Amino acid sequence: MMRIFNLKTVWLCLVSTIFTSQAFAAYTLPEYQKYTLDNGLTIYLMEQKEVPLIDISVVIKAGAIEDKSQAGLNYFTAKNLTLGTKLLTKTELDQSMDFIGANIFSSANLEFSTVGASFASKDSEQVMPVLRDIIISPRFADTEFTKLQTRHLLNLEQRKESPSSVINNYFNRLVFGEQGYGSVIAGNRQSVAKLTLAQIQQHHHKWYQPSNTAVIVVGDFDSKIMKQRLQSLFSNWKNHSKLAPTQVTKTTKKPKTNVLLVNKEDATESTFLIGGKGISRSNADRVGLSVINTILGARFTSWLNDELRVNAGLTYGARSRFSSYSQDGSFAISTFTKTKTTIEAMDLALKTYARLWEKGLDEKTLASAKAYVKGQFPPKFETSSQLASLLVNMYGYQFDETYINTFEEQVNSLTLAKSKQLISKYFPQDNLQFVVIGKAEEIKDQIAKYGEVSIVNIKDTGFKTE
Amino acid sequence: MKSLLTMLFMVLSLLINQAYAATTVDDVKSFTLENGMKIMVLEDDSIPNANMYLFWKVGSRNEYPGITGLSHFFEHMMFNGAKKYGPKMFDRTMEAAGGSNNAYTTENLTVYTDWFPANAIETMFELEADRIANLAITKKMLNSERGVVTSERSTGLENSNFRSIWQEVKGSAFRAHPYGWPVIGHASDIANWSLDDLKQYHKTYYAPNNAVVVIAGDVKLEQVKALAQKHFAPIPAQPEPRKVHTVEPEQKGERRVYAQKKSVTTPNIMMAYHVPATQHDDHYALDILSDILSTGKSSRLQQSLINDQQIASSLFTYFPNSIDPNLFYVSAVAAKNVSAEQLEKALIFEVNKVIKRGVTEHELQKVKNRKLVDFYRNMATINGKANTIGSYEMYFGDYQKLFTAPEQYNKVTLADIQRVAKTYLKKSNRTVGILSSEEDSNDADL
Repeated sequence: MMRIFNLKTVWLCLVSTIFTSQAFAAYTLPEYQKYTLDNGLTIYLMEQKEVPLIDISVVIKAGAIEDKSQAGLNYFTAKNLTLGTKLLTKTELDQSMDFIGANIFSSANLEFSTVGASFASKDSEQVMPVLRDIIISPRFADTEFTKLQTRHLLNLEQRKESPSSVINNYFNRLVFGEQGYGSVIAGNRQSVAKLTLAQIQQHHHKWYQPSNTAVIVVGDFDSKIMKQRLQSLFSNWKNHSKLAPTQVTKTTKKPKTNVLLVNKEDATESTFLIGGKGISRSNADRVGLSVINTILGARFTSWLNDELRVNAGLTYGARSRFSSYSQDGSFAISTFTKTKTTIEAMDLALKTYARLWEKGLDEKTLASAKAYVKGQFPPKFETSSQLASLLVNMYGYQFDETYINTFEEQVNSLTLAKSKQLISKYFPQDNLQFVVIGKAEEIKDQIAKYGEVSIVNIKDTGFKTE
Repeated sequence: MKSLLTMLFMVLSLLINQAYAATTVDDVKSFTLENGMKIMVLEDDSIPNANMYLFWKVGSRNEYPGITGLSHFFEHMMFNGAKKYGPKMFDRTMEAAGGSNNAYTTENLTVYTDWFPANAIETMFELEADRIANLAITKKMLNSERGVVTSERSTGLENSNFRSIWQEVKGSAFRAHPYGWPVIGHASDIANWSLDDLKQYHKTYYAPNNAVVVIAGDVKLEQVKALAQKHFAPIPAQPEPRKVHTVEPEQKGERRVYAQKKSVTTPNIMMAYHVPATQHDDHYALDILSDILSTGKSSRLQQSLINDQQIASSLFTYFPNSIDPNLFYVSAVAAKNVSAEQLEKALIFEVNKVIKRGVTEHELQKVKNRKLVDFYRNMATINGKANTIGSYEMYFGDYQKLFTAPEQYNKVTLADIQRVAKTYLKKSNRTVGILSSEEDSNDADL
C-alpha cells in the first residue's frame, strides 16, 4: 500500500544481484583482508562491530549457464545442500540452527551459487562447522531429494500465477536465446522432473572445489581468531580436477523486433518489458549509464514514472533498468496497466524513452540525478549482510573495489556531452524486444503494430518464445 | 521500503536480553512540541545519512462505508503539492537534495519516511512542514491519482493470491468494525470519493497532535530540536479526531468464504481467529505461539505439514500489531493433489494439538533465542531503529516498552501459551477462507 519507488524488491528484482551502481561522496569500502589458502580457497574478512552478528557467504563459481540441457541442475544442487549433512539429518540440522536463531540459506544465479549463514557471533563455533559440512559433505538423502523435487515442481507452476515473477525469464530468452544468459536458473517442469540425485551429486563433486570457491566473512569477530578457525575448517578440503567453466559468448543485436505475447487467461492487466542488449559488469561506462538510467526510470521523478504514473495515471509505477552479468547484460523498460490501456501505456513508454535521443538530458536534471545516486549510496552498505553481498558480487562477477572507491569521481565527471555519447552508444534504439503478459484475446491484434507477434500460454512448461 | 507483503511478514522483533543491546533506552531522546507533536531522536553516526519517520494515527480503521481506502489514497495525495512546493516539487526537491522517500498505510497507521544525506535535514523539515500545514488538493491531481491507486489495487490482486483471499476473509470476520475492508478500499469507493472528503480528512488527521516523529542517523538532538521549533511548532493543533468506538460483536460460530481465481495452482487456505489488541496482556503469549507454529523449518506447522506429511507447499501465521482487537491468521498453500479439505484438517489438527497438549520448554526457549538475534538484525540499520522505535510508540503507547519487552516475553509460561490457544484458536471464533481455481459448486449443490 505505498508508493512504488523503493519497491525494487517487489517489482522486477529477479535479476541476480541487488548491487546497484550508486556511490556517496568520499565513500570507500571498509577495510577488508583477502587471501588464499594453500588449496586455492579465497577468503575475505571484514570486521564490523556494531551488532553482535556474523554473516558468512560461500560463493562457488558455478551458475545456471553450466546447466545446458539439464535446466535447473545447478540451482537444484544448491537447494539440496541445506537438507542435511553427513553428521546431521535434515530435521537435526533445522532444529539445531533454528534453536539459536541462525539462518542458513542457499541460492544460485546465472554465474555462481551462494551458500551462507547469518547468526549471533557467540554461536560461531556451533554454526561454522555445520556450514562447512553443508558445502563439503552434504547428506544428499534420497527421501529429502524427492520431497524437494516435488515441492520445486509445484513451485515452478506457482510462479506462473504472478506475471511479475516470470516476465524476466521470457525477456532473457528473447535477448540471449536458450543458453548462456538465457538459461532459466530454476529450470522448468520437464527438466527438473528428470533430475536425479546422482546427477546432483555429480554436479556438486565437479564444481564445489576450493580453488573455485570463496568464503566471505563479515561482522563481529576478531580476524586473527577467525583466520585460525577457517584454516582448521577448510584447509583439508582438496581439489581433484581442473575446471573448464563455460565461456559465454556475447550475443549480437537481434536482427528484428520480436513481440512475445504470453496469454494469461484470467489477467485483468497487462505486464510488459521492452528493451534489448545492455552492458557487462566490467563495462567502463557502467557508472555513467546508471546516472542516465536514474533519470530515465530509476527514481520516483524519473521520466517514465512521471509520464506513465504521475501525469497519465496509467500505472502504479514505471521504471527502467540495466541487468549486468560478467560478460553481457540487458536493458529493459517495465510497467503494467489495465488491459484496456495496454497500447496507450506501451506507446507512452516508447515515446518517453525516445526523449533520450530527441531531447537528451538537461543540466539541472543531471545535477539532481548525481546528487540522488550519491545521497542514496551509504545505506546500501550499512550492514554486515549488505557488505557480504557486495563482496559476493565482487568475487562472483570479478570486479574489485575500484568500482566503489572511484564511484564519486565517475559520477561527478559525467557531463551532458558525455551523456549524449553514452546514450547513443548503449541504450538499444531499434529492433527492440517486447514481452507482454496479459489477456491475449483482447490485445493481440493491437500489439501487432510493434512487430511480429508470437503467442504462448503462461501455463505452458518453461519459457518458450514461439 | 517494503511492499505490503513484506510488511506483513516483517516481524517487529524484540530484545530479550538487555545485556547485549546495541541501542539502549537512554540512547533515544524525546520531546514534545506545544502543538502536541512528539519527536524522538536517535543519534547514530555510523553512516553520513539520516531518516525521518512520521507516524500518523490514521488508517483504514478511521474510515466508514463510502470512503473505504481513503487513508491509503491520502497517503498518495500527500505527495501531490502544497503551498511552497507545488505539484511534483516535493519529490523533485527531495531527490535533488540526495533524498528519497516512501510511505505505507495499514489498518491503523499511515507512515511516511524520508531517507537523506544528513546535511539535507533542513530541506526535509521544510518539505514535511509545507505539506502538513498547507496541502493543496486539486481536482486534476485527484483524478490522475485515482488511476494510480486503481492500478495499485489491481496489480496486487493480479500478482498475489494472498491479497485475493485476504480481503474475503477480513470481510467476513468483521461485520461491524472497519478492519473488515481492505486497506486499499473498495473499487467503487476509489472511483467516487470527493475532493471535500479529502480536505476534511487532512484537517482532521494530519494535525501535529495526531503524529509521532522519529529521526535517526547522523544528527544532533539540539539541531533537531531547533529545526522542529522552526518548522513544525507553528502548525496549529486540531481537535481530537473522532474515536473509533465500534467493538466487533463476539463471533459465535465458524464463518466460511470461498473465492475462485482461475490461475491458482493448488488451493490456498486462510484461517483467521479474533484476538485482542496489542496492548492486551495476552499479546506476548500469542506472539510466541505464532512463532512456535510457523517460524523456521523446525516450527510445528512447517515440520509437520511441509516436511513430514507433505500436505502444504508453503505456509505462515500472521499476528499483526493492532490498535483495536484484530485477527490471528494461519494460512497455507496446498501441495500438489492435496484438497483444501485435507489441508484444512491438517492445520486444525496442529492447532488443536497445542490446545490439548501445550508446547514444550524447548520450543519456548527457541522463540526467545530467535527474538534476540532478530532484534540485532532490525537494529543493524538506522532505518530499522527508527521504524521499530516509532512502531512501539504507536502500538504499545510508549517507545520505552521496546526496552522492557524482554521481561514481558520472559514472563510468558507454557501454561499461558496453552491458555491463549484454547481461548482464541477455537472453531466458533474462526473464519476459514478458501481460494481455488475451481468454481464453488458441485453436483450435490441444490
